[in-house]
This record gives sequence, C-alpha cells and structure tokens, in this order.
Amino acid sequence: MALNILVVDDSSVMRAIIIKTLRLSQLPLGEVLEAQNGQEALKVLDGKWIDLALVDINMPVMDGEEMIDRLRQNPETADLPVIIVSTEGSETRKEALMQKGAGFVHKPFTPETLRDTILKTLGGLNDAKAGDRTLQGRNTRF
Amino acid sequence: MIHTVGVGDMKVSGTKGDLIVTHALGSCLGIAVHDPVASVGGLLHVMLPLSTIDPAKADTNPFMFVDTGFPRLLIECFKAGAQKQRLEIRAAGGANSQHKGENDFFQIGKRNFIILRKLLWKDGLLLKSYDVGGGNSRTMSLEIGTGNVTIKSGGQMKIL
Repeated sequence: MALNILVVDDSSVMRAIIIKTLRLSQLPLGEVLEAQNGQEALKVLDGKWIDLALVDINMPVMDGEEMIDRLRQNPETADLPVIIVSTEGSETRKEALMQKGAGFVHKPFTPETLRDTILKTLGGLNDAKAGDRTLQGRNTRF
Repeated sequence: MIHTVGVGDMKVSGTKGDLIVTHALGSCLGIAVHDPVASVGGLLHVMLPLSTIDPAKADTNPFMFVDTGFPRLLIECFKAGAQKQRLEIRAAGGANSQHKGENDFFQIGKRNFIILRKLLWKDGLLLKSYDVGGGNSRTMSLEIGTGNVTIKSGGQMKIL
C-alpha cells in the first residue's frame, strides 16, 4: 500500500524538510503533494486521494485551523488523518488544535520526532512493515 | 567475542553474537551502527565535534572527532557488507558536566550530538533511537546479529 501524503506549509523550505524526512522514514510512499495554504490544500484534496496530511497552522489566505474545520465538514475527508506541524507554544491552544488533528509536532522538530509521530498516527505501520525500505528516497552514497 | 572500544576508537564486526562495548561515555558520544540483514555492526567512541581544531591529530586518529570518525565508521561497515538503507543508527552520551556543578562553557557533549545530527541529515540517515544529555556517564554495548544496544548508567540498564 503506497501512501499519498499532502504537505501544507507556506514555507517552501519547511515543505522540503518535511518531504526529505518522509523519504527517509522508510514509509511506503506514493505521491507526495504540496500546498502553500489551506485553500490550495482543499483544491488538491478535491481531486486526489490523500492518506495523510501534514498541516501548518499560520498560513496566508486560509490558515490550517480553518482548513481542518472544512475537511471535517466534508464526509469524504472527515476521517483523513492530519498531523499539525506548528510553532504554537501555548498549551491551551495546542490542546485545542490536537482535538482537531491526529497528531501534533512542534516546530522546530527533529526528523526522528516527525517520523515517530507519522508512524504512530498511521498505526498499522509498525517497524517491521516500514522496514521493507521500498522507497528509501534518493540517498547520498559514500 | 567481546571487543572493547577505547576513547577515540572504533571497532567493527561481522560475526553474529559478538559484543562491542565502550565505557566512560561522558561528554563523548557513542555511535552504534548495525545492519540486521548482513549482521554487521560497529561502535565508535568520539571525543570532540570537529576535526578543524587539529587536522593533524585527525589524520593520525580520525576516531577522536565526530566529523571524521562517523564517516569512517560507515565506510568500514560498508566494507564488511552493510548496506546504507538497512542501517540502524543509535547514539548515546553527550552528557553535560553542569549537572555535576561544573561550568560547562564549551558544551562539548551538546555540540558532539549537533554535529552528528548535521552529518546524518546531510547523508540522508535517521537515528533509530538515542539517549543523550544529562549528567551521568554511560557504558554502551552493541550485540552483532540482534542489533541490541544496551546502555548502563547510574546503576541502571536499558535497551536503547
């Protein structure tokens, strides 16, 4: 089973870091799609099947919170696992956001934290399954 | 067979059941690499983050520094049959002497781990697990075959 993942963040550098971590996490990746804000992400979701979304909160045009609220209203995307990747520091806000998503990763994060949260969120993907290394990404050779 | 890794030293083995051990990891960093399919692994005990402070010393003993020791550890494991995409990498050590009331001005432990992280990211590798920081000295061992990494610290033992 290849996973289609949507990365939503207004910073292209952050999207690149998240995507590199995804490729290193030994997940069976299908398509990795990108969106710069909530509105763009909803458009992508309209035309593609997505298995997991990694969503930033502070973004122009439409922020992550509104995007997730809209996702939940649509029966087709209501159950989509969402991991929030945000700089949010307030515990109360964080808890409120966690109610909406399946996981929360605080920026700045280590690639291992992001990998572990993704594996935990996807549940069934235990170490053994993730270890088939079918899509290890483009690696530097020594 | 038990191999002991000294300070600023490295051992690699391709024999199932071999145990590679290193003692007295304070601010030093222990890095264990293991390929469970090839049953090849190595353990490195580095002291300092960057070889730029003494390139001549790094030439005679690359295992003193993270930036020269870690690539050598990988190369030796690859020579013994390990493959990059199967590597399980674990790190321990990098303690902070401030916990003992000393002034940790140079933050060697923290910097050792930061340089390792930079190398891993550049090379497209992730850590399987790690146990760094704190104030206690650690003993780290790697069992070839199972890939089990054990940490002994402050009278306690755990699998990393």
